[in-house]
Amino acid sequence: MGAYFDDKDLAHFGDLKEHAPELWEMFEKYYGSAFQPGLLTKREKVLIGFAVSQSSQCPYCIDSYTQQALEQGLTMKHLGEAMHAVASLKAGIALAHALPAHNIDKKVSM
Amino acid sequence: MSRPVALRVVPRDPAPNAFAARVAEGHGELRATAVDTLQINVGKRCNQACRHCHVDASPTRTEVMPDEVVDACLDVLARDEALQTLDITGGAPEMHPRFREMVTRARALGRHVLVRHNLTVQGEEGQGDLPQFFAEHACEVVCSLPHYTAEATDRQRGRGVYEASLEGLKALNALGYGRGNGLVLDLVANPVGAFLPPAQEDLEHDTRDFLLSQHGIVFDHLFTITNMPIARFAQWLERAGLYDQYMDRLEEAFNPATVAALMCRTLISVSWDGRIFDCDFNQMLEIEAGNGAPLTVHGLDTKALAGRLIRTGDHCFGCTAGAGSSCGGAIA
Repeated sequence: MGAYFDDKDLAHFGDLKEHAPELWEMFEKYYGSAFQPGLLTKREKVLIGFAVSQSSQCPYCIDSYTQQALEQGLTMKHLGEAMHAVASLKAGIALAHALPAHNIDKKVSM
Repeated sequence: MSRPVALRVVPRDPAPNAFAARVAEGHGELRATAVDTLQINVGKRCNQACRHCHVDASPTRTEVMPDEVVDACLDVLARDEALQTLDITGGAPEMHPRFREMVTRARALGRHVLVRHNLTVQGEEGQGDLPQFFAEHACEVVCSLPHYTAEATDRQRGRGVYEASLEGLKALNALGYGRGNGLVLDLVANPVGAFLPPAQEDLEHDTRDFLLSQHGIVFDHLFTITNMPIARFAQWLERAGLYDQYMDRLEEAFNPATVAALMCRTLISVSWDGRIFDCDFNQMLEIEAGNGAPLTVHGLDTKALAGRLIRTGDHCFGCTAGAGSSCGGAIA
């Protein structure tokens, strides 16, 4: 076995079906339906996919959603804004998780 | 200097290739209908050397349509009233010494004249009045603008091209182009990389909003065109290690709904040296139209070309991928 993450693996994502075919088919249908245009456009959903990919640190998803974003007419200028929206929110989340420290200090300190 | 690339898309025979087989599944053979457009490539000389160019055009190219071929093209146009549109391309076609004469004579024949214009050629010596010339002859001007952002456009077409292109568009707008009054201004957008173009109507909407709000620029239509794996773009794909991936992408995105509207069915393409091709892409790959003796524009009978078998190769997947691609944009 080589590297844990290989870009060629993405094409074999569907191989996971063999372990639980019925559940896989339900997942495929759910995933496919969720990304169909609705009140949100296809492009908006692709941007959500990109943001979640980055936030979840999934290299396969970042590969896929970057290419999908380019095919939606977005450029790295657009994705640059998106990635900072993600990063700043992640920074805010990290800071929000420091609130207990603030609270505990208030509680136990004189 | 780029290394030579062994293109894998040039089967000499139209029958046994993956594209022809895919078309045959739903449509049988790919054949022309009636020819209504004469597209002439007047030469490979251009003031730019874009990274995606399927013509390999640049300022150093010397191929220019000679007088006898220009005369033969105009003769065919005059004789054949079915040819309602003259589509002039290059290179930068305006750099041909008889470009203005060709336009003037085609318009005098009552033909619709469409010029594939790179905008920056307006800055070349003696070309500053091109917008006025286009307007006086009511040419449809089809302008290259890969993307509405400067970064993407300059990456493909060269530094400073975006700003120069905006100036060119403003000059055309100032004369009434792009305002829905009959002087038609189209933009052509193509991906800046190895991926398919977005939905044409979405990109047209975004481009319209951006150019109007940021630069006060208007236009009539935006055409999305898929980059063809030919010449300079194919060389870039090879160097980047993306050739196979891109070809797979084109093939997997094959859309049968595009076949009926493929431009090769209604157009003939004339090369600078007078040979006849099914499209400008086949022209660059030297896949001549017909299966008998080579055809030339001299004394050409376009009626005899109706119903002909179109010669294809794997590059043709570029015109059938996704929403399809043609010189007039998406087709499905």
